[in-house]
Amino acid sequence: MRFVSFRPASCVVATVALLLVATAPSQAQTRAETLRYVTGASVNTLDPNIPGSTRESFGLSMSTYDRLVAFGRKQLNGKWVFDLDTITGELAESYDVSPDRLKITFHLRKDAKFQDGSPVTAEDVKWSLDRCVTAPILGKAQLLTGSLTSADQFKVIDPLTIEVTLPNPDKLALPNLATVYPIIINSKVAKEHATTDDPWATAWLKEHTAGSGAYVVETFKPGEQVILKRDEAWNRSSANKPAFFKRVIVQSVPEPATRANLVERGDADIVVDLQASDVQSLEAKGKLKVVSTPQYNAITFVSMNNQIPPFDNVNVRRAIAFALPYDDMFKAALFGRGAPLFGASWPDGKPLNGIYPFQAPVKVDLDKAREYLKAAGLPEGFSTTFSFNVGQASTAEPMAALIKESLAKIGIKVDIQKLPDAQMSTQINEKKLPLFTEGIVAWLPSTDYFYRNFYTGNQRWNYSSTNNPELAAIAQEARFEPDKAKYEEDGRKLNAIHFSEMPQIPLWQPNQDAVMAPSIEGYTYEFHRQVDYRDVSRK
Amino acid sequence: MVRAGRRLLSSLPALFGVLVFTFLLMRVLPGDPAVFFASGPNAGKEEIEQIRKQMGLNKSVPEQLVFYLSDIGHGNLGRSMMTGQPVLKDLRERLPASLELTFTALLIALIAAVPLGVVAALRPGSFVDHGVRLFCALGVCVPTFVSGLLLIYVFYYLLGLAPDPTGRIDVFTSLPPQRTGFLSIDFLLAGDIEGWWAACKQLILPAVSMALFVIAPLARITRASMLVSLGSDFVRTARSVGLSWHKVVVTYALRNAILPVITIAGIVFSTMLGANVLVEKVFSWPGVASYALDALLSSDYAPVQGFVLLMASLFVLVNLIVDVCYGIADPRVSIE
Repeated sequence: MRFVSFRPASCVVATVALLLVATAPSQAQTRAETLRYVTGASVNTLDPNIPGSTRESFGLSMSTYDRLVAFGRKQLNGKWVFDLDTITGELAESYDVSPDRLKITFHLRKDAKFQDGSPVTAEDVKWSLDRCVTAPILGKAQLLTGSLTSADQFKVIDPLTIEVTLPNPDKLALPNLATVYPIIINSKVAKEHATTDDPWATAWLKEHTAGSGAYVVETFKPGEQVILKRDEAWNRSSANKPAFFKRVIVQSVPEPATRANLVERGDADIVVDLQASDVQSLEAKGKLKVVSTPQYNAITFVSMNNQIPPFDNVNVRRAIAFALPYDDMFKAALFGRGAPLFGASWPDGKPLNGIYPFQAPVKVDLDKAREYLKAAGLPEGFSTTFSFNVGQASTAEPMAALIKESLAKIGIKVDIQKLPDAQMSTQINEKKLPLFTEGIVAWLPSTDYFYRNFYTGNQRWNYSSTNNPELAAIAQEARFEPDKAKYEEDGRKLNAIHFSEMPQIPLWQPNQDAVMAPSIEGYTYEFHRQVDYRDVSRK
Repeated sequence: MVRAGRRLLSSLPALFGVLVFTFLLMRVLPGDPAVFFASGPNAGKEEIEQIRKQMGLNKSVPEQLVFYLSDIGHGNLGRSMMTGQPVLKDLRERLPASLELTFTALLIALIAAVPLGVVAALRPGSFVDHGVRLFCALGVCVPTFVSGLLLIYVFYYLLGLAPDPTGRIDVFTSLPPQRTGFLSIDFLLAGDIEGWWAACKQLILPAVSMALFVIAPLARITRASMLVSLGSDFVRTARSVGLSWHKVVVTYALRNAILPVITIAGIVFSTMLGANVLVEKVFSWPGVASYALDALLSSDYAPVQGFVLLMASLFVLVNLIVDVCYGIADPRVSIE
């Protein structure tokens, strides 16, 4: 019996190495003309209107469909971000707003064609907008925020002109038409696939596109990847040229460390959902371009349920606000990558401006917190739970530990509860969680929009379940306020109410860290928090 | 053959039980999928109701169960909210990916584990034996995602030998016409050697990281059962009559020792298929396990139910195959 002695571990390594050494992949020369975008989530529908659509589906639809109008872009601290105040034409060549602001007339581009070559007509626009406000799809609730609720509001004037009438001079009507949902669909094609049960062809459009966008869907594998091909005839970019990349590959790579490796090795061109720690190390290495933009339309909160004791007492809420270890959380959870909404100083105790979200004059001050607890009649503290969802664990877990530690110092005993995402959303919807962290995003981040959607009504997004008639009335009034100075005044009032009532505690606006190959240019932070493939090019 | 058929038939009640149990379990779990999926920026009560209706959740649980069973009877496993596709289609596309990975991993594991076990058993207590033990302990201690990430770090990131760990095939390679769903076989059938090699390269790292984890039980069981076999009378007799080393160890000892290894291999295979979630996640492998996990987190009922049904059926099938293998390895055993 004789055996060659060998070391198994090195043997495995050698075998693997041997198996992998192969001819260098003969990659097509089109690599430079291809954008490879990797993401943790996945595209699950080609129509962003389908309930359950992911954010990746939203991002994709920006390139596969056109809308009547689009947001412009502006520089914010040297970084390109979308600009809510500049609305440019996309399928519309121009638009006129009537003096009373109750009528918007869109003039369509004469050269606009769908991807099958047929011209885009006002009939298609009408059908698409009708679909958006009548079919049971996501667009309905969105367009409602711009006073667009009925098919009667869209009128075809001639094949290239469409008129939108509004019941109120709603500031958000026009911006709403630039959001993800009101895509313009080739109505002739869609109608062919409509059935009596499904007159708006939602089932068919989920897996097919019939649009006029910059990119044509080549392959769509839900949960894995989507490959797009450039539509050479598309010319709706600012330079009236087709998009830069001939091909776009959108690929799901669930593991964040793998995404970081891919972009560092140059196999992926751009990624926006890396872990903060990975971004920091990649930035330190300096080989890649890192564009960090505070998500100025998103906010992370610590929310309290204002309807259940002890958080129904304003002094308890104030106590919490002065007991949170803001700086430590900001460093531990986000590595300082974001814009803080704490630690401001308000010299005269009044809000500095009428913009929401605002930086509040709160910082950790345990003596003050104890005083508030005493005022609330709970000098000994109490017990509660702090919940967060599994999907946010990488930031929420360190936060939870720090909150538990800090609140223990003023006598509040906190149990940490980590919930699966679906369970968390259910409990929030049923208003069962006393203390938790969540985030919000507003596509159209204006002060009244935030207050109306996130601080009023018995609905899911009112995390704190606050019910303040004064706040609701001012927010409603501000919605149709044409005078800028008055609007600003309303904003200040709302912010002052927010600070004194402290329904929930805004913490920060996390950064969107876009990490990309050094050759990628033109990245813009968009309202849907995805890469708009039409923005980027390679130098 | 008839016996095998009868066995398959007798497992049907068990499958039915699994079906009903999973169905009820998903309903009992806290978390309302409708609320989760209605998470658009403006999704309100109306959207939630809409989704609830779409998923059939507006009916009572017994009613839902009846509908579900009748759907299954028609071969319809429902629709996934997550991918927007019919579950059957998703599973059909993803199962080959998981099977290909698991088969390869099991093959690598067996090729490595059986010789290791035999070597260890031939010289118990020796340096080699301890080496094998250490290797096995390491393989079990290091979770698969850690070994996966390490392999990626070394072979992809540092050495650049491996292709990027993003699924079954490089995005720039065109796919062969689908016949079996196993890429390595489909490429061969299409006569595309370059594509075949590309698919194999993608497969190696995940398969090795999975194999590392299961080498231990296989090697340990081989060693234990080889020790018994080598110490038995027939081996002593064989040695005393001067049979060759090969004949003694391989033909007599190993053949008699292989039964428990096959049993364990069967169990390991079924476990791997469901439990390789982490490897699938790390290597972006579009398999069934990561699909089921995502569905579970978002309370997407249909895919989870479909997955459990699939796993239960596979388990039945694997057990049957293991039994058939018994008969081949040891003619004294037959399926009862």
